[in-house]
Amino acid sequence: MYQIITGPLLWLTFLVFVGGLAWRVYTYVKGLDWKLDRVAYGTQTAHGVRGAANSILSWVVPFGSQGWKVKPIFTIMFFVFHIGIVITPLFLLGHAVILKMRFGISWPALPMYMADILTVGMMIAGVCIIVRRIALPEVRIITSFYDYLLLVITIAPFFTGFMAVHQLGGDYKVWLYAHIISGEVMLLAIPFTKLFHMVGFFLTRGQIGMDYGIKRGGMKGTNMAW
Amino acid sequence: MPEGKFCNRTPVNTQEDLEALLGDKGGKQYYAEMEELDVDKAKLATSLKNTCKSRLRTWLDMCAHCGLCADSCFLYLCNDRDPKQVPAYKIQSTLGEIVKRNGDVDNAFMRQAMEVAWSQCTCCNRCGQYCPYGIDMGVMFSYTRGLLYSQGFVPWELKIGSGMHRVFKAQMNVTDEDWTETCEWMAEEAQDEWPGLEIPIDKQDADIMYTVNAREPKHYPEDISEAAVLFHVAGENWTVPSSGWEQTSLSLFAGDWEACTLQVKHVYAAIDRLNPKRAVGTECGHAHRATVIEGPYWAGRPDGLTPKPYLHYTEWLAEALREGKIKIDPAKRIKQLVTLQDSCNYIRNYGLKKITREIVSYLVEPGYFVEMSPNKEHNYCCGGGGGFNGIGRFRKQRNRALMVKRDQILDTGAKLVIAPCHNCWDAIRDLEEEFKIGIKWSFLKPLVISMMIVPEHLQPQEEE
Repeated sequence: MYQIITGPLLWLTFLVFVGGLAWRVYTYVKGLDWKLDRVAYGTQTAHGVRGAANSILSWVVPFGSQGWKVKPIFTIMFFVFHIGIVITPLFLLGHAVILKMRFGISWPALPMYMADILTVGMMIAGVCIIVRRIALPEVRIITSFYDYLLLVITIAPFFTGFMAVHQLGGDYKVWLYAHIISGEVMLLAIPFTKLFHMVGFFLTRGQIGMDYGIKRGGMKGTNMAW
Repeated sequence: MPEGKFCNRTPVNTQEDLEALLGDKGGKQYYAEMEELDVDKAKLATSLKNTCKSRLRTWLDMCAHCGLCADSCFLYLCNDRDPKQVPAYKIQSTLGEIVKRNGDVDNAFMRQAMEVAWSQCTCCNRCGQYCPYGIDMGVMFSYTRGLLYSQGFVPWELKIGSGMHRVFKAQMNVTDEDWTETCEWMAEEAQDEWPGLEIPIDKQDADIMYTVNAREPKHYPEDISEAAVLFHVAGENWTVPSSGWEQTSLSLFAGDWEACTLQVKHVYAAIDRLNPKRAVGTECGHAHRATVIEGPYWAGRPDGLTPKPYLHYTEWLAEALREGKIKIDPAKRIKQLVTLQDSCNYIRNYGLKKITREIVSYLVEPGYFVEMSPNKEHNYCCGGGGGFNGIGRFRKQRNRALMVKRDQILDTGAKLVIAPCHNCWDAIRDLEEEFKIGIKWSFLKPLVISMMIVPEHLQPQEEE
């Protein structure tokens, strides 16, 4: 079991994850059409790139945009959730050890207590996001089962990993296997679901930034105040 | 019934058809026929295949259903925060469904989609500013309007409006003869007070070619003479084209992209014919959007630019004030609280926020200008944009939509609103009529004329 899920299945997961994302990025960019979108991507590229950078930067920085500023509580939940998701798996000590043992790669790692804080923070934020979906009528009306499923897919590897690391709730091996499998499920889901936003965020934010950078004021020297 | 006499999938292309459709008062028969109109599902699927590309599909597909767009939408705010007014809900339940079902939708669905597309969205694009992914539902509703229009599901007035552009190359059935006669008449009238004033028609190689909104020759000819007075005082070498003078595009509101292209190419042809150094358009938002912002793309210009630099009126006016071509009498500056309406079309969507404020700095005594909140590119729609002002069927919804602007104005305490956009100007006039909050509203031209210093050589000679 362990051999399969950390061997062939893991490699297959990485392959589908990287290949799927590459395909989606390719089809997105290929599908941009200056005439239909009414944005001169190809001829006013310098203005476009400037606009895209402004658009992306304003939104990756906490409270960097008006949209974040007017919703401070959500913004905090959002960033705690996403920072936990991105930083924890990339710099977890356990993952670094595997990299060292299997491939001889030295990889920086977070102290354990930091990883714990990020993981617990991410899970709490995840629960708050679920509560928000149920509590607010303007969010409830657009929420479907699929949205909850994605949250479960996203939180599962963190929850199971946390249980395994701290040897909570019975046989740690069960939690470890569940962790590996749920992690693979999440990676596999990314290219095929809304979780594509991991890359798609940069594409769509970049695109609207190009729109503003070229057509909607950028060429008049106005930076959109996101 | 496949297609009706009035309500059908064929655009209005002849004067005869236009008059017949106008004869159906209030669109009574038109809307009755709409209830029976079939959806051409194959055509709809083909349209999607050809025009719904990765930008729109990714937007629809990736929307995280986070609801951050809700508070950005003034229609959500003024309709008691009805969840059905959340932008993401509105677009997912209309365009989202059409795409999901690949065009397999029925008549009732299309009529509902029409109501949402024209009475629950003014295409102000504000939601796109508040979506973390930058999903612009204004862009998507404009696209949806195009699909609905091509299937015949479009409000009566806008079917007429886009037909006007097809038949007359102008809305409100203003012909080129009407236009040139109005110019001549206005020049004659103004000459008593402004000796030497002219409205030069079809002058070659002028510095400025001026274009307008057809409702100026139709209902507000004084706007044309005011423009003439200001060009005259500024000493501009200017002209108006005898054809290609109409800058607006009700076809933009209707989603009739073919008519949009016809209209803007007609204006560009006038530029090619007269070869002015620059063009200047009147104080209108959507006219600027149609001719300068979207127009180059409809006309197939890969650089996204007009054939010659094309200024919004505020850009020309700011320049004239900055360069001293027009001087304001300091004693006549506005000394009452005054606020400014930011038009979505050329502020949010064209970046002229500093230009209008520069003008205000010349016209208003320091300390008397009050910003609305929010303002600049974050300002709310006037309440009547995107064709909303002109659709009788949705009048009730439009009047309700004015409440947000009403409250924004009330909060400033100002009794005067500068509204350099025809659509905003109308909406603010209507909100005063509807709610009687005791405000006045004005374009820039009459304000500037009332407070500028007239150089001696341009003043009328005293009669001996």
